[in-house]
Amino acid sequence: MDKKKIIVMNGIHKGYRLGEDMVPVLKDIHFQVEEGEYVAILGPSGSGKTTLMNIIGCMDIADSGEYYLDGQPVHEMEEKGLNRMRNKEIGFIFQNYQLIPTYNILQNIMMPLIVRGMISKEAKEKCMETIKLLGIDHRLEHKPNELSGGQKQRASIARALVGEPALLLADEPTGALDSASGREVLKLFQKLHDMGHTIVMITHDMNVAKTAGRIVHIVDGQLYEGDSLPQ
Amino acid sequence: MITGFLLLFKPRLVRGMEINMKISEIWKLVWLNLSQNKSKVILTSTGILVGAATIMLVLAIGTGGKLEVAEQFKNLNAGAIDITYEYNGNEMSGGGMPGGRMGQSSGGGMPGGMGAGAGQGGSGMGGFPGMFGFSEQTNTENIILSQEDLNTLKEEVSGISDGTLSYTSNADVDGGDLEETATYTIAGVQSNYTQISNLEMALGEFLTEEDNTYKEKTCVLGWQTAKDIFGSAMEAYDETVYIDNRAYTVSGVLEEIGTVASGISPDDAIFIPYETGIKYLTGKNVSPTLTVIAEDVDQVNAVMEQIETVLAESYPEAVFTMSDAGSKMEAANQSNETLTLLLISMAVIVFFVGGIGIMNVLFVSVKERTNEIGILKAIGCSQKDILVEFLLEASCISLVGAILGVICAAGITPLIEYFSVRVELSVSGAVLSLAFGILTGTVFGFYPALKASRLVPVVALNHE
Repeated sequence: MDKKKIIVMNGIHKGYRLGEDMVPVLKDIHFQVEEGEYVAILGPSGSGKTTLMNIIGCMDIADSGEYYLDGQPVHEMEEKGLNRMRNKEIGFIFQNYQLIPTYNILQNIMMPLIVRGMISKEAKEKCMETIKLLGIDHRLEHKPNELSGGQKQRASIARALVGEPALLLADEPTGALDSASGREVLKLFQKLHDMGHTIVMITHDMNVAKTAGRIVHIVDGQLYEGDSLPQ
Repeated sequence: MITGFLLLFKPRLVRGMEINMKISEIWKLVWLNLSQNKSKVILTSTGILVGAATIMLVLAIGTGGKLEVAEQFKNLNAGAIDITYEYNGNEMSGGGMPGGRMGQSSGGGMPGGMGAGAGQGGSGMGGFPGMFGFSEQTNTENIILSQEDLNTLKEEVSGISDGTLSYTSNADVDGGDLEETATYTIAGVQSNYTQISNLEMALGEFLTEEDNTYKEKTCVLGWQTAKDIFGSAMEAYDETVYIDNRAYTVSGVLEEIGTVASGISPDDAIFIPYETGIKYLTGKNVSPTLTVIAEDVDQVNAVMEQIETVLAESYPEAVFTMSDAGSKMEAANQSNETLTLLLISMAVIVFFVGGIGIMNVLFVSVKERTNEIGILKAIGCSQKDILVEFLLEASCISLVGAILGVICAAGITPLIEYFSVRVELSVSGAVLSLAFGILTGTVFGFYPALKASRLVPVVALNHE
């Protein structure tokens, strides 16, 4: 039986206007991710991987093409629909953690649930198992600037997980970490993959990409699977 | 255990149409943001603080002014019309004035506004609506308004319920606890003066018709005069006071009335029978004020026109000055309202400046918190929720400013009162100040909040 498709992209194009010229960034992207897959999108700087991540993450929309996330037509959605997709279907993990500095760690982790309409008490109860899993339960009252990089990234992962999204979308998750913390985070990703989470990781580091089950290369706005990468 | 764990975190695909934060949770975020930036909140709200304090004080001073006017006119009969005659000629001067007091006597009139008379050089002329007469026209005939004139008016003018004659003079007074003679205002009045002037007796009786007829040397003291001369009203009663070296028996003391707008201040005067004063104090060459009361306040102008006609028949060459109490009250109230309006305009300007200040700070705040807004948007926070959060923050900052403003206004009040300005703080004034404060902050906070809510997630998230 075929596995459920979490991401389906057909003929995605995206460009940016530079003066009077249109600079193409993504060119005819066809991309699919099945439920439970752990995919790394590997590419150098300027290859278009951040733009692709923004479109996958519903933070930007393609100029043309179709994009289905968990079966829902993102390319047809407007503001409210995109908000809902970001909140319920995607868990973001950013390179620089993107934790709100004035909130404590617990408040940061609870935010996707609060945004969804839960009250704090309910959200806290729902978060606690995730928080324990990530080993940051002793840091809940601390502000982000009181935590190490590794702890911050674990808090960021906890925030991504609490909403039980269809997709975990990680942008250079080890980019700001020392190698030991980076390895820990990658182990955590493997664990989450083993638990059944669908993960798409954007990276420029081949060693990091190798930890994923599947590597997709992005070069000059085009995707290449496995060995199909042009020399 | 691992199986349970896996089940717990197995992704559950949730679908729903729209997501919105609970307003209670938005309030928590607002509180969190404000409580962590206390000094910024205080500084931002300064403009609103000043505005709220100003509007509260303006309302309080306006109300105080109105009450002050009402109190100053409280003993004034709204239907009262004062008639005086200003003698400008000099061929008759000097005749019949005992003790060289010529020129000191003047129209007495109603406390709280009347009394423009010859001795005061027509000081009341032209200041209020409802006055007749032309100061540039010279009155060469020496006319002394008399009981006969009053009777004529009562007979020939319809709509007059009562009338009286009065005048004031200054005289040396001695007696009681006074260590040396002092000059006091002496009012020569008729027995119905208290009814016409709405005055009450604190002790004893007012001057009677017999006192006037027999020119009795009896007097009634104003509240303050009794205190000054004898220490209290009680001690003054039935005592003797010396006016111009003549002994007068104190038959009573008037109730304290407070400040009056102009004319005789009853608290500071000594009242003697009209005829007694003419005989012993001023001589016949006095310029009294003739006061009549219109039965219907709405008919004051018609009554004044009739009076003018009747007086013109009796004295064809003379020009009389007439003023009605109602017009004076109205003029005083209008002047007070104009002042209040001016102060409110100032308060509105202050609020505007305060609002601009809030808007500037919120713009800076939006700039500073662009990344935070980006994060909120990345996790699905709606435009509406961000707008509401920033608007509530602006409103709360304004509320803080408005509350501090109200407190400041209450704190400053004794200082203002120290400078003899009456301030009447009120709950409604405080509520209005708070409402204006919050409204200003919310209105001026709207645009920065809208701007924050419309930030593009990707751009906001990557903002340094």
